[in-house]
Amino acid sequence: MKRLIVLVSFSCLASFSVPVWGQEKEAPPEQGQKIDFAKTIQPILRASCYSCHGSDAQEGGLRLDNRSRAFAGGDNGKAIIAGEIKSGLLLTLIKGSDEDLGRMPPEGEGTPLTEDQISLVENWIAQGAEWPDSADIAITSDHWSFQPLSRPAIPEVKGKDWIRNPIDQFVLARLESEGIRPSQRASRSTLIRRVYLDLLGLLPSAQEVEQYLNDQRIDAYQQMVNGALQSSHYGERWGRHWLDLARYADSDGYEKDRARPYAWRYRDWVINSLNADLPFDQFTVAQIAGDMLPEASVSQRVASGFHRNTLHNTEGGTDQEEDRVKKTVDRTNTYGAIWLGLTVGCAQCHSHKYDPVSHREYYQLYSFFNSMNEQDVAAPTISEAATYDEQLAVYTAEHEKLVKARMQYEVDQLPTALGKWLEVDADLIYQWRPLTNAMMTSHHPSTFKLLADGSVLVEGENIRSDIYTVTSTANSLSGIRLEVLPDDSLPSKGPGRAENGNFVLTNLQVLVRQVGTDGEFTPIKIGRATADFSQNNWEVAKAINENQDDGWAVSPEIGKRHVAVFQLDDVISFETGVEFQVVLHQKYETGATHNIGRFRLTTTDFDGVLALEGTPGNVLEAIAADPRNDEQNKVLLDYYKHIDESYKQLVQAEKEHESKSPPMPGTKAQSVVELEKPRQANIHLRGNFLTKGEAVATLGLDILPSVQAEGDQLNRLDLANWTVSKENPLTARVTVNRVWQRYFGRGIVETSDDFGIQGSEPTYPGLLDWLATEFRDKGWSLKDLHRLILNSAVYQQQSAHREDLAEIDPDNELLARQYRSRVEAEIIRDLALKASGLLADRIGGPSVRPPQPSEYSALTYANSAKWQTSEGDNRYRRGLYTFFQRTSPYPMLMTFDAPDSNTCITRRSRSNTPLQALTIWNDVVFTECAQHLGRRIVDEVKVSGKSDEDIKQRVNHVFLTCLSRRPTRPEMVAVTSFYKSQVERMAEDEQAARDVLGQAPMPEAASLAETASWVAVARVLLNTDEFITKE
Amino acid sequence: MDITNELRQQSRRDFFTSASSGLGGLALASLLKDDGIVHGAEANPLIPKFGHFAPQAKRCIFVFLAGAPSHVDLYDPKPVLQQRHGQGLPKELTEKVRFAFIKKESAILMGSDRKFRPHGECGMELSDVLPHIGSCADDIALVRSMHTDAFNHHPAQLMMTTGVPRFGRPSMGSWLTYGLGCETNDLPAYVVLSAGRGSSGGVSNWTSGFLPSTYEGVVFRGDGEPVLNLNTPNGYSRDMQKDSLGLINSLNRIRLEQQKDTEIASRINSYELAFRMQKAAPELIELNAETQETLDLYGVGRKEPEKTNFRGGGANVYGQFSRNCLLARRLLERGVRFVTLMHASWDHHSNLSEEISYNAGMLDQPVAGLLKDLKRRGMLDDTLVICAGEFGRTPLGENRGGNKQNTGRDHHPYAYSLWMAGGGIQGGQVVGKTDDIGWAPVEDAVHVNDFHATALKLFGFDHHRLVHEFKGLNVRLTDQGGKVVEKLIA
Repeated sequence: MKRLIVLVSFSCLASFSVPVWGQEKEAPPEQGQKIDFAKTIQPILRASCYSCHGSDAQEGGLRLDNRSRAFAGGDNGKAIIAGEIKSGLLLTLIKGSDEDLGRMPPEGEGTPLTEDQISLVENWIAQGAEWPDSADIAITSDHWSFQPLSRPAIPEVKGKDWIRNPIDQFVLARLESEGIRPSQRASRSTLIRRVYLDLLGLLPSAQEVEQYLNDQRIDAYQQMVNGALQSSHYGERWGRHWLDLARYADSDGYEKDRARPYAWRYRDWVINSLNADLPFDQFTVAQIAGDMLPEASVSQRVASGFHRNTLHNTEGGTDQEEDRVKKTVDRTNTYGAIWLGLTVGCAQCHSHKYDPVSHREYYQLYSFFNSMNEQDVAAPTISEAATYDEQLAVYTAEHEKLVKARMQYEVDQLPTALGKWLEVDADLIYQWRPLTNAMMTSHHPSTFKLLADGSVLVEGENIRSDIYTVTSTANSLSGIRLEVLPDDSLPSKGPGRAENGNFVLTNLQVLVRQVGTDGEFTPIKIGRATADFSQNNWEVAKAINENQDDGWAVSPEIGKRHVAVFQLDDVISFETGVEFQVVLHQKYETGATHNIGRFRLTTTDFDGVLALEGTPGNVLEAIAADPRNDEQNKVLLDYYKHIDESYKQLVQAEKEHESKSPPMPGTKAQSVVELEKPRQANIHLRGNFLTKGEAVATLGLDILPSVQAEGDQLNRLDLANWTVSKENPLTARVTVNRVWQRYFGRGIVETSDDFGIQGSEPTYPGLLDWLATEFRDKGWSLKDLHRLILNSAVYQQQSAHREDLAEIDPDNELLARQYRSRVEAEIIRDLALKASGLLADRIGGPSVRPPQPSEYSALTYANSAKWQTSEGDNRYRRGLYTFFQRTSPYPMLMTFDAPDSNTCITRRSRSNTPLQALTIWNDVVFTECAQHLGRRIVDEVKVSGKSDEDIKQRVNHVFLTCLSRRPTRPEMVAVTSFYKSQVERMAEDEQAARDVLGQAPMPEAASLAETASWVAVARVLLNTDEFITKE
Repeated sequence: MDITNELRQQSRRDFFTSASSGLGGLALASLLKDDGIVHGAEANPLIPKFGHFAPQAKRCIFVFLAGAPSHVDLYDPKPVLQQRHGQGLPKELTEKVRFAFIKKESAILMGSDRKFRPHGECGMELSDVLPHIGSCADDIALVRSMHTDAFNHHPAQLMMTTGVPRFGRPSMGSWLTYGLGCETNDLPAYVVLSAGRGSSGGVSNWTSGFLPSTYEGVVFRGDGEPVLNLNTPNGYSRDMQKDSLGLINSLNRIRLEQQKDTEIASRINSYELAFRMQKAAPELIELNAETQETLDLYGVGRKEPEKTNFRGGGANVYGQFSRNCLLARRLLERGVRFVTLMHASWDHHSNLSEEISYNAGMLDQPVAGLLKDLKRRGMLDDTLVICAGEFGRTPLGENRGGNKQNTGRDHHPYAYSLWMAGGGIQGGQVVGKTDDIGWAPVEDAVHVNDFHATALKLFGFDHHRLVHEFKGLNVRLTDQGGKVVEKLIA
C-alpha cells in the first residue's frame, strides 16, 4: 500500500543520505593552502548532500550541485556566505552548532561528516568559497515539456486517402500501428452543427443548414468553416473559454461582493481581440503588461485589466497589504497556469514537491507581479467617444464666444472702470485689525500664551467644554474674525486640542458696552458667519445658532489655518469707543475633549459685506502709491476684477456655460499601473505574508531559459515578452493543447493545467509540437490554428462510440472517433434562445440580468446582490453576458457546471443531473423559448391545406432548427403522434392552451390548440440530449 | 396501474430489449458489467442490489467537516499538551522530525482552550463545545488514530471522499449507489446538502468519476429552496408533463441506439428522476408535518448567534444546517442511499478558539438531534452516520494574520479523529490512541483506506471486490490498500 512517510512535508534540510565517501582519512589542510573546490569540496557535497539537495530533490529548496543556487540558499536562508564562517546554514548544520536546527546529515540516516571534512568546508568558505565555472553544473531537467520546442517530422502513413492535412498523419500513423481504423466522416448536418457549436456556440439557422446541405462546391466544408470564422460570435464563444482562464466575474467576491460596473470592458476587449484575430503574442503581452507598453493605448490598458479579475476584499477590517499579497499570489499562479501550464502555486508555501520550482523561485516570479497598483482608467467606448467629440465641438464654439466677450471687456472697458473706482470708491477698503489691550480668561484653568504674531496658544490642562472670553476695545465694530491656527505643540498639529487636531466651536457670542461705563455687556446679534472650510455637518453657521450641541469643526482639514468671519447686523459705535467681549463656547460633550488650541481674533468696522481676508496689503500699497509701477497697476487691475459688476457678470456667464460642457463619457475600465520604484519581494515563509524571509530578486524560473531585461532591471513587460519568445518552450505547447482540448474533449496532454512532472504525458507528442511550432512560427494566429484543426479528417469523424474501442481506448485518447459532449452552461442558454428566435445577438456591453426562478429571486440578499431583471431585449442576451455575481451566481449557469470564477479554470467538469432536466424543462427562460419556438414553427412553414403534410413539414422544420437535421422515420412517427395527442388535450382545455402559448399574439396559420401543441413539441426538442450536445 | 409506473416499466423494457438486441448494448455493458456484485441486469442502474454478504448498514449520512477540525480541541484531550503549552517540541519528537521550515518561535506547542469531560456510560471524553454529541456517546465509536496521505485541503478531501488524493475517481457515495442502487425511484440515490461556505474540493468530492454520471451526487441548494424549478410551467398538467417525458425519452433512446453513449442513458435517467422528483420533492422539503418537538430537537428555528463573521459564518447558517440535518433524515426515509452534509469551514489557522466554538455550535445540536431522531425511529440500526474532516491540526500553534501570539493550528495529516455511529458500528468506544500531544497514532492507527474498507464492509462489500474495470485495471475505493477495522464493527 502506498503511504506517505509521515514526516516528508516538514523535512527541509532534512535527511542527508548515508555518506559514501572513502575510508581514507584526508590530511587536514595546511594553513594558507588554497582548497580546490572540485578536488576537495565537491566530492564531499556529492557524497553527503546531493541525494537530497541535488538534481533529483531539493529539500527545503536548497540545491548544492549548482553554484548560483547553492549561493542563493534554501527556503530558510543562505547556506554559504563566502568568507563568512560565523553564519550560513551549511556550516551551522554540518557542525550541528544550533541545537534547534539539529545536525546534517541527520542521526540514524548517515554518519556525520568527520571533523576534518568539516574544517575543510569551513576553510574553503573562509578562503572565499571559490567555485570555478568548470565545476558548475547547469540546471536542467529531462522532463519533456521543458525541452526546447522544435518542429518534428511528419510521419508517413499508408492510408493516404484519409489524410486532409498533417494533423491526420500524426494520428493515423499511430492508429495504423495499433491496428485501429479511424471513424467515418460525419454527415454534413452533423458537421455544420459541430462547427457552429465549436466556433460560435450557436446553432446554424435552418436556412444555413439547407444551404450547406445543398452546396455542390468541392470545398463546401472549407467555405462553411471560413464563413463561421468570419462571424463575430466567434469572439464570444472563444472569449468565454478565455474568461474561464482569466477568472472573470462582475463582482468582487468575499462578503461584500460589490458589483464591478466596468469589468465588462475587459470582457469586450477579449471578444474584440479574438474577432480581430489579434496575434496571440500580442494578445498575451497586452494582458500581462499592456499598461507598460510604450504609449500604451486605452485598449492595451483595458487589456491589463486582466490582473483586476482577482477577488477583492472590501470587508471592514481587511488588512490591505494581506489582500494585495493574496491578489499578487493569485496573479502569479494564474500566469503560471495560463501561459506555462505549471502549478507554480504549490511553491507558495514550500518548494514544489514535484516540479523544479523552489520556494525562492516562486517569489522571484511573484516579484514580477509585485509592483503594480490598481487603477480605473477612463475608457470611453468607440461610440461614446464619437458622441462626446460631436457635443464638445458644439459646446466649444459657444464657449469661445463668451470668452471672447470677456477678454474684449478686459481690454476695452476694465481700465476705465478701474480709474473711476479709484477716484470714487477706493475708500471701500478695509483690513482686519489686531486687538488692542486684550484680556483673556478661561472657564477652566487653561493658560494663554501670547505669540509674536498676535495669536494665542492655549496651554495647561485640557478640560472638557472650556469657554474662552476675550475682552478688548475698538472705535467701532462691524465684525469679528476668528483664525484657528496650527501649531507643532498641538496634537496632530492642531488647530484643536483633541487627539486628532480637531475642535468644536459650539457657539460664538459678541457682547458690547460703551467704554468707560460699568454697565452690563449687551449681546449683539451676529447676522452671518462664513468660513473657509467646515467639516461635513459641522458648518460654521452652527456656531451662531440657538442649538448649543452643534457647532463649527474642521476635520479632516487638520493641521491647517482656518478662518471664520462673524458679521454683526449693524456697525456698533459709541462716542467713547466700544468695549467688547468675544466668548468662545466649546461645549462638546459627547466624544473627546474638543477645545481650540491656537487662535487669533481680529476686528473691523467696515460697513459692507465682510470677506475672510479683507483687502490684501499689496492692494492697499498699490492704491497708496504715486506714481504706480506696472506691477502695481496689474495688482490693482486683478483686484478690481473681483469688484467690477459688469466684469463679474461676464465671468459668471462663462462659468455658468461651463456647466453645460458635455459630460466625459463615464465608462471606465479596470486597469493597472506599474510603480516607478518596484516593491521589494521577499519569500513568505510557509506562504504567510507576515513572516517575511529573505529578499528575492525579480527572476524567471531556473529550469526555463532566462528572462532578459530590456532596461535596467527585469519587469513585468520583460516577462510578457519572454513568455511569447521562441526560447520559452511552454506557452505555444500549452496554448495549442488547450485549443485542442475544446475540440476533442481532452487535450493531447490531458492535464491541460499541468505540464509539470505530475501532469500527464502527451498522447501525441509529435502532433503537439508540430501544432505548437505551426502556431508560433506562423504569426500566432488563433484563427489559422482553428482552421487547421477544423479541416483535419480527425476532427470531421463521427462521434458514435465504437464497440471495438470500448476496451482498448475507453477515453478516446487515440482519437479514432470524434468526441460528443454536452455543451457548456452558457451555450445551452444560447442554443435555446437562438432556436426560439429570441436571441438578441448584439456583441458586448454591460452585463445583463436575465430572469431567474422566482423562488431564487425571492431570497433576500445584501443590496450588492439585488437582481434587477433586465428590460427589453437584454433579457435575451447570450449566456456570457449574464452578470456574474460571485457569491450568488445565476443558478442556471451553476447547475450546468459553470466555474465559480475564483481561480483559473482550464477544464470544466460536466455533470448530468435531474436538476439540469428540471431547469430546461421548467425554468422560466426555457419556457419562454419553447413558446417562441412553437409559434415560429407555425409562422415559418407555409400551410398546404393538407393537415398531415403540414405536420410533416413543421416537424421537419423544428428538427432543422434545433438539431440541424431532418428527423428519421421513427422520430417523425413519435413526434407526430405526440403532437396529435397534445392537440386533443389542448382542444379540451382552452385555458391550458392559452397558458402554454403564453403572452405573445397567436399566429394566423393555426388554431390555438394547434399552436399550443407546437409549443409542447418545441419544448420537447429543447429537452432532448441531442439539443444540448455537440455530436 | 399508475401510468408513471407503466412508463417506467416501458422504458426499462425498451432498455432491456435494446441491450439484448445489441443496440445500445455497449452502454449497458459498461453500466451493468457483471463484476460479481451487480445482480439482475435491469435497465435501471439504480435498482436495489446486494453486496457480497449481509449488510449491517443500508443508508449513509456523511457529515463532512470541510477544512479539517482540530482533533485536540474536539475529540482528543491531551493533558500533556496543556502542560507543555508554550514549550518547544519534546525531544523525542525533534529527534524524529526536523523543522527547518516552521519558524522556530512559532514551533511551540499550544494547549487547548477547551475543557473535556466524560460522557455516557462509556465515559468518552469530548470537548465542551460538543455537549449534545456527547449525550450520544454510547452510540458513537470515536476513532482517535486516523491518518491520511495528503497535506492540503483539496487532495485530502479527495482522499476522504474518493480514496485517492487525485481527480477522476468515484466518490464513496457513488461507489455505494453503484453497488447498491437505491430504494427510491423518486429522488436521487445520492444527495449533497451544504450550508454556508463550500469546500475547496467542490464537485470533485461527490463526482462519479469514471462511473456513469447517474451515480454522482446531486446537490440540493444550501439556501432557500433546496431544489429549483420543481413546478411545471403554467398550462402543463401532470399528464402533459408525462406526455412530454415520453417523447423526450423516445427521442433520446433513438439517439442512444445510434451513438451508444452512456451519457444519453444517464440523461434518460435524469429526466425520469426529474419527473418523479417534481411530485416527491415538494413533500420532502415541506417540514410542516414535523412536530415542534422534532424541529426543536434539530434546532430548526433556533436563535442564530449574534456574531457570525467567521469562516463559514453568515446569516441563518445555523438554521440552514439544522434544516439540512432534518432533511437528511427525510431523504433517508424516502429511500435515498447516501447523503453528504457538507459543513461550513474548519480551517482554523487563526482565532481557533472563537472559530471552533462558532462552528461546533452550528454542528453539535443538529447532528446529535439527527442521531437521536434516527434512533427513536429505529433507523439508526441500519444507518451509518459518519462525521469527519480531511485531516487534523497541529498540536503546535500557528501564528497567521499577525496576532501577538499563536491563535491557530496548521494542517496535520499525521493524526486526527473521526466518529461513526449506527449501521453496525459498535458504539460507546474509542478506537486508537495518539501520543501525549496528539501528534501521531501510537495504537491502532487507521488509514483513510482502512476507514473506507470498514464502511464498505458494513454495507456488505468486500472492498477488494467492489471494483470497476477502468483502463484495464480493477479500480476500487480503497485504492491499493485498506484493511477492515474489526474493532469498530458490532
